[in-house]
This record gives sequence, structure tokens and C-alpha cells, in this order.
Amino acid sequence: MLDMKGIARIYQTDLVRTHALRDLTLTVNEGDFTAVVGPSGSGKTTFLNIAGLLEDFDEGSYLLDGENVAGLNDRQRSKLRNEKIGFIFQGFNLIPDLNVFDNVDVPLRYRGFPAAERKRRIEEQLERFGLTGRIRHFPSQLSGGQQQRVAIARALAGDPRFLLADEPTGNLDSASASGVLDLLEGLHTSGTTIIMVTHDPALAARAPSSIHLQDGRVVGNDEAAA
Amino acid sequence: MEIGPIFRALLRNRTGAILIAVQIAFTLTVVLNAAVMINEQVSKAGRPSGLNEADTFHMQSEAIDTINPQVTINNDLRAIRETPGVANALQMNTIPLSNGGWSTGVRVQQGDDPPVYSAAMYMVDDQAIDTMQLKLIAGENFAASDVVWRKPDESGWPGRVIITKALAKSLFPDDSPETTVGRAILLGESPANIIGIVDQLQAPWTQSSQIESSVMVPQQFQTGSPRYLIRAEPGQRDRLMPEIEAQLAERERGRMIRNLYSMDEVRRRSYNLETGLAMILGFVMVVLLLITGLGILGLASLSVRRRIKQIGIRRALGASTRDVLRYFLIENLLITSSGVVLGAIMAVAFNIALVNAMNFPKIEWYGVPLGMVVLVLLGQLAVWGPARQACGVSPATATRTV
Ligand SMILES: Nc1ncnc2c1ncn2[C@@H]1O[C@H](COP(=O)(O)OP(=O)(O)O)[C@@H](O)[C@H]1O
Ligand SMILES: [Mg+2]
Repeated sequence: MLDMKGIARIYQTDLVRTHALRDLTLTVNEGDFTAVVGPSGSGKTTFLNIAGLLEDFDEGSYLLDGENVAGLNDRQRSKLRNEKIGFIFQGFNLIPDLNVFDNVDVPLRYRGFPAAERKRRIEEQLERFGLTGRIRHFPSQLSGGQQQRVAIARALAGDPRFLLADEPTGNLDSASASGVLDLLEGLHTSGTTIIMVTHDPALAARAPSSIHLQDGRVVGNDEAAA
Repeated sequence: MEIGPIFRALLRNRTGAILIAVQIAFTLTVVLNAAVMINEQVSKAGRPSGLNEADTFHMQSEAIDTINPQVTINNDLRAIRETPGVANALQMNTIPLSNGGWSTGVRVQQGDDPPVYSAAMYMVDDQAIDTMQLKLIAGENFAASDVVWRKPDESGWPGRVIITKALAKSLFPDDSPETTVGRAILLGESPANIIGIVDQLQAPWTQSSQIESSVMVPQQFQTGSPRYLIRAEPGQRDRLMPEIEAQLAERERGRMIRNLYSMDEVRRRSYNLETGLAMILGFVMVVLLLITGLGILGLASLSVRRRIKQIGIRRALGASTRDVLRYFLIENLLITSSGVVLGAIMAVAFNIALVNAMNFPKIEWYGVPLGMVVLVLLGQLAVWGPARQACGVSPATATRTV
């Protein structure tokens, strides 16, 4: 369902040429929970951005749900992102000017859902993550753990096929981090496909399978016994 | 479509937006009132005088010592009229639009204490209607035999006069032009009969409220400094002006030809206050619109720069570049529309105050919506650049910046 073959990504600046990814081949199947681990600068975020259609790649092919994403224009890519992918970011990335309700609403509006449907989905997700009492709060009025839960609610509200998480616990204390991990595990159990990028091997160990990146290459592949 | 959250987000950062909205409101207030003022000045400076100005010019002959003015004037007029390219010419005591001339109180003969109307007095001959190309709408022109010489010390007026339609309407509000012909009036204390009505011939005083009230009398002013009004055949005016000046100077040495001006020039000079005011106000209008446009642009590019990360997040969550563009256009629309609504109220209130306080023109009904639309469009234009810049923000910004 996510199928990458020979992906390469090169950043060219005036002075340097960085091979952020080289010849990356990878398949993620429906229901997988895959951790992508590696030291800082190994290309994890680059991989996630390409997987999530946030940036282009220079070589290789990428099929998302069987669709070749290489030839898509901005609108088609935006639509795919909106419908199929939910993002969880290290810095939560809530929009500071919007309250919790409006933050979760953002992708649903781009989706074009009618107001009643959006409201139903938002309330359902906020309830699920114990945020019902925070619906009118602004991000600055929430703890890091709460903010990340809002971000997860936002990522899930549109029923995406994939959840892509980039260091989702990087900005959290260990208690909140473990809470977020519990959430992700719960989501996995209920069938959500998750790819989680992290530099922390301890976190990666909680995912059933993991891919190790170094200098833009896959150097190892763990398949934990399910 | 996404007005709600855009509006709520705007309220969280309202200081800049409120300042811009207020600036827009003030701009609309000033621009609308300046525009009606400009419109009034321009239409005042452009209103017709009743004569064919384009082909017409005038000059004045000034003799140091004239032995026989009647002979000089007759010779001058004959020579001018015979000059090839001249359509017709006329001696006049004063020139329309020149801001100097003679006036008399005019009233009807019957009734006690009838209202008196101030009217300009034009001393002309039977060629006046043709020379100025006035439109005779009722009655008849002077006959050559009506025309008499007027001595410098003479008072009183001839008994046959032609008046303008506007004066006729004031004197005889219930009459048509046709029935006004033949009516008796008093010019000062001189009785006279109206023999003709012309559609229009403005008095020389451009600031006068009675500018449409004029009387023509069949007199030639016996003076050493006669004024001539000359109409050229189309296209001949500029050639004839120096030619006739030289011709007059040549024929009778020892005199000066002064005040050689085309009617276009006379109009320009007499309305330069109005055109000057219109230009200053126009300049103020353009500068204000420019400053407001730049203010909108400044605020928008600031808010784009402040929200780079947020734009990246929206892109990651599924916003296309079109959605981003639309976001900033809608946000700008919200700011400008509140500005123009406030501005419309302020502009009308200010206008009412000006109308009541002085002789200020009223804003036309369509002026307000037109001004609102112009400012909203200005806002959309000014925000376009920053909004395009926002579209260039990569979705990867969501993961690449802290
Ligand atoms: N926009 C960019 N321009 C140039 N180099 C970049 C850019 N983004 C990332 N890189 C480089 O690509 C490499 C991989 O980066 P990244 O994928 O962010 O690594 P990770 O997420 O594993 O820390 C790094 O060497 C980084 O410096
Ligand atoms: Mg990274």
C-alpha cells in the first residue's frame, strides 16, 4: 500500500550536495506499525516528507495505494495528503490562532465535508482522546501532551489510510511520551497503519517492525515476531 | 467557505487589521468627498458658455489718441470680416468668461416691487448671434438698423433686447420662450421689449450664481479701446490670431493690440482656480490610495512572514496553493469590508456635515458603493503579492522548521 523503489533525494545548495536518501526501497502494508530509526541527519524526516507527499524525490518510484505519485500536480497531491495521510509532528504543529475545535477542523474543511459532518467527527475524536473539556482552549493553554493529543485527533479526524509521525514524542516529557506511545499502539491495534520516525531506539523497540537508516541508506530491517 | 475560522484567527491578531481597516475607512471618507469636489470643479470648469469657443478669439485695440473711434471700429470690423478664414467678427463691450463686464438689474414692468435679477449687459450688433453661434430659440435677431452707437457718458439702454432663456425663465416663470417674446421689462430704469431669446450666453463672471443671466443690446460702444471677438473657420484660428493682430497694427499706426487670446485660453485662465483645486485634490486622492495600498501590502507581507510555519502546516494537512491564496484573499476581504462599511458611514456623515456647513456638493448615490468597490479591489490587488508569496511556502516547512 506504500511502495517505494530506489528512492533518492539530493539536496543541492551552492556549496554542498547532500544525498539525504539513496536507493531506498521499502514496502509498508495495511495495518503495519513501522518505526524508522537512525541518528540525526540520517534522512528520516526526508523519508517521511516524501512518503507524506510534502516534498519530491529525485529518483525512483513511489506508489501510494497503487497510485504513482510522480506525475501528480499540486492539487492532486494536496488532495491525496488531505484524504489519505494523517501527520503527527514533533512540534505538535497546532495553529496557534485557532482553538482546539478549529484546529481539528482544518483538514476537514479542505476535505469539503459539510458542517454537521465536520462537527460530528471533531467531537468524536476529541472525546476519544479525552479532550472534550478543552474544546475552546487555544494551544498555548494546553500542556505538551494535550497538544500532541489534539494533533493526533486532527490527524485522525479525516480517517486517513496512514498515520505518519515524525519524532512524535521528541518534545514531551517521558510520562507524556509514553502516553502518546500508548495511544499509537492502541491505534495500531484498532487497525491504523502507522509509520513512526524516531532517533530513539527505545521507542522504536515498541513498534512491531523497524527500519534503520544511516546516511540515507537502509542499513537494517527488524521484523519483530508479531 | 472558511470565513469562520479566518475571522476568528484574525480577531486573535486584530491590532494591525484594525489599524488598516480604520485607514481604509478614512481613505474612503476623504476620497469620496474629494471626488465629489473634483467632479464639481471639473464640471464647473467645463460647463458650456453658449458660444463656439473652439474657433473664437478676441483682441483689443488700444489707441493713444483716437480722432474718430467710429471710423476706426468700422474699418477694423470690415477688414477683419473680409480676411480669408474669418467666419465673422463683432465688437463687444466685454468678452464672455473674462470675469469683467457690465451688469444691470432687470425686472418685469408690471406689478409693484417685482424681483430684480442681475444680468450681464452685452453691447453687440446684428452679427452677434452668427459670430458667437448662439442658438436663437424664439423671436428674432436684431436688424442692422437697430444698431446704434453708445457714447461713453451715455446712460440708459435701447428699447429692443435679446435675453437668455435662463433670464427669461426667471422673469416670466409661467411663459414659454415664444410667449416671452414681446414682453416688456426694465433694464435699470430703461423700458425695453424682448425681441428674441437665445438658448445660452453666459455672463462674464465665472464665479457668479447668476452666470446664465445675460442681455444683448444693439449698441456699439464708442471707445478708443474696442474689443473684437473673431470667429475663424474651423482650423484657421491659430493662423489668424497673429495675422489679424499684425493687420490691425499695420493699418493704423500708433496703436497697440492687446489681450490677444483664444477663447480656450480665456476659459483656462478664468477657471484655473477650479482646475488647480481639482488637481490638488486628485493628487491627494491618489497619494492616499497609494499609502493605503502600501499599508495593506505591508500588513499582509508581515502576516505572511509571521505565518510561514502555519502555512506549511496547512499545506501538509491538505491545503493546495489555491487554498492558501484564497485564505489571504478572504482575510484581506474581511479587513477591507469592515473598513469600507465604516468608511461609507463616515464618508456620508462627513459629507452631510460639509453640505450643511457650506456650499459643498452631495455625494451621488452611486458614489458610495463605487468607492467601496474600488477600495476592496485595491485591497485585493495589494494583498496579491504577499498571498502569492505564501503560496510558495513548501509543505515541508511543517517538518523542517521548529
Ligand atoms: N532543505 C534542505 N537543504 C539541504 N539539505 C537538507 C535539507 N533538508 C535536509 N537536509 C540534509 O539532508 C540530510 C537528512 O536530513 P533529515 O532527513 O532531516 O535527517 P533526520 O530527520 O534523520 O535528522 C541531512 O544531512 C540534512 O542536513
Ligand atoms: Mg528529522
